[in-house]
Amino acid sequence: MRATLHRIGRGIQALATGLRLTFTMLLRPKNTVMYPIKKVDVSPRWHGLLALPVDPETGNDLCIICFQCERVCPSRCIHIEATGKAKERVLTRFDIEMDKCQYCGLCVEVCPTEAIVFVPHYEASTYNRNNLNYDLADLHRAAPKEPIARGVIR
Amino acid sequence: MALRTEELILNMGPQHPSTHGVLRMVVTLEGENVVDVQPDIGYLHSSVEKMMEYRTYIQSISLADRGMDYLAALANEMALLRAVETLGKIETPTRAQWLRTMFLEFQRIASHLVWLGTWGIDIGATTVFLWCFREREKVIDLFEKSTGGRLHYVYFRPGGVYEDIPDGWLQQALAFCDDFEQRLVEYDELLTANPIFEVRTKGIGVLPRATATNLGASGPVARASGVAFDVRKAFPYEKYAEVEFDIPVREEGDCFARYMVRMEEMRQSVRIVRQCVEKLPPGEIRAKVPITLRLPKGEVYTRTESPRGDLGVYLVSDGGETPYRVKIRAPAFSNLFALSEMMRGWKVADVIAILGSIDIVLADVDR
Repeated sequence: MRATLHRIGRGIQALATGLRLTFTMLLRPKNTVMYPIKKVDVSPRWHGLLALPVDPETGNDLCIICFQCERVCPSRCIHIEATGKAKERVLTRFDIEMDKCQYCGLCVEVCPTEAIVFVPHYEASTYNRNNLNYDLADLHRAAPKEPIARGVIR
Repeated sequence: MALRTEELILNMGPQHPSTHGVLRMVVTLEGENVVDVQPDIGYLHSSVEKMMEYRTYIQSISLADRGMDYLAALANEMALLRAVETLGKIETPTRAQWLRTMFLEFQRIASHLVWLGTWGIDIGATTVFLWCFREREKVIDLFEKSTGGRLHYVYFRPGGVYEDIPDGWLQQALAFCDDFEQRLVEYDELLTANPIFEVRTKGIGVLPRATATNLGASGPVARASGVAFDVRKAFPYEKYAEVEFDIPVREEGDCFARYMVRMEEMRQSVRIVRQCVEKLPPGEIRAKVPITLRLPKGEVYTRTESPRGDLGVYLVSDGGETPYRVKIRAPAFSNLFALSEMMRGWKVADVIAILGSIDIVLADVDR
């Protein structure tokens, strides 16, 4: 009998503790973000989409076609082709298969001229897998003056 | 005088929501009692060990992140790089070592929080799941600010770390520690003293000390059974020899003991993080190591303490750019095979509680 009463008492006590804690949560600020309406700002180091910024003065690519990023990529998703000789070399192809990319950042790390960078953009989903093959024009477009997805909070 | 009934074989998984991944358990039942459990693994096999043979050491880091235990990516990077650095005799700068220690402890907190939340859901406590993921989000935000990744960081490099922490990061880390200690008290109030939680966990799924050592269990599972072994203390790596922390050990070996051990580990992790912030020296963060690293011919076995236990890497190099052979000793794999010992004789409902309490990650089991 006493044991039963003791158990009932403990049950009520535990219930009261739980309810007290949940009620204190009501008074605290909300942590939820209504995602598609509001967006979370990401850090400047964010491993987002890759982009090829151009030289703002000349409009040329910063890439010096050293093929280091192509070689270091673990998923081998970067494909570079160029024409010309020595200093007159021009990029003809710079494709990144974004569906293969694992966002490790090794290409950004090895690039000597910072010609390939991460942009703080995190919405890359499409309905078609082919849209994820980024060519030179796409990668130029993805490198805006301002980052694409600017969040509202944080 | 019980009636003799026919045994029922129940397939639990691979798509059961509470198996924490793609684990299939063949449970032999007699009525509601579990007679035998056979875990069937291999659904998440990603052949990380073989793939590493075709990648250079620096490329293998990103593979270790996602192919192994995806909840504790930095612990995997550490395990791989400890083998690489030991074989290549690469010296790491002091600041990088302190940074690594700090990040590993944050990773342990994040991993244990996922465990606590999902295990809470298994047992029926939904609130604690939401609270744990709220705190984990804060840890991951800290990681994002420093490494750029939220789940797969690729932060550690042979001979150091990739980037230094940004300005003001340490203050944010300390603010998290202050906040998190209060949150831990709330989890304690919500769970530890709750009679329903106690009934579900105390005395359930007992793993005796002898069985735990025989089956090679490690980490919190072994420590809850009275095995006072932690790689961080026994074979210190990075700066674990210079920080003060205790290893929580419980003798009971039941689900509740495993819960208590992990809760205490989170407190100890906060303690280590505070010491790391205090002692963090200025200076270099990365030694001069070439991107195409060639290790000398030889083999090495190193072990680290991941949030799940003793994570070892056996690395053989033939002098080339890629390893000749990598073998990963996964803690969750060894812990999983203590499962049938723990579950025999309990009810079906306890199967979920016991499975959750050993904290398996199927990517770590299958590799």
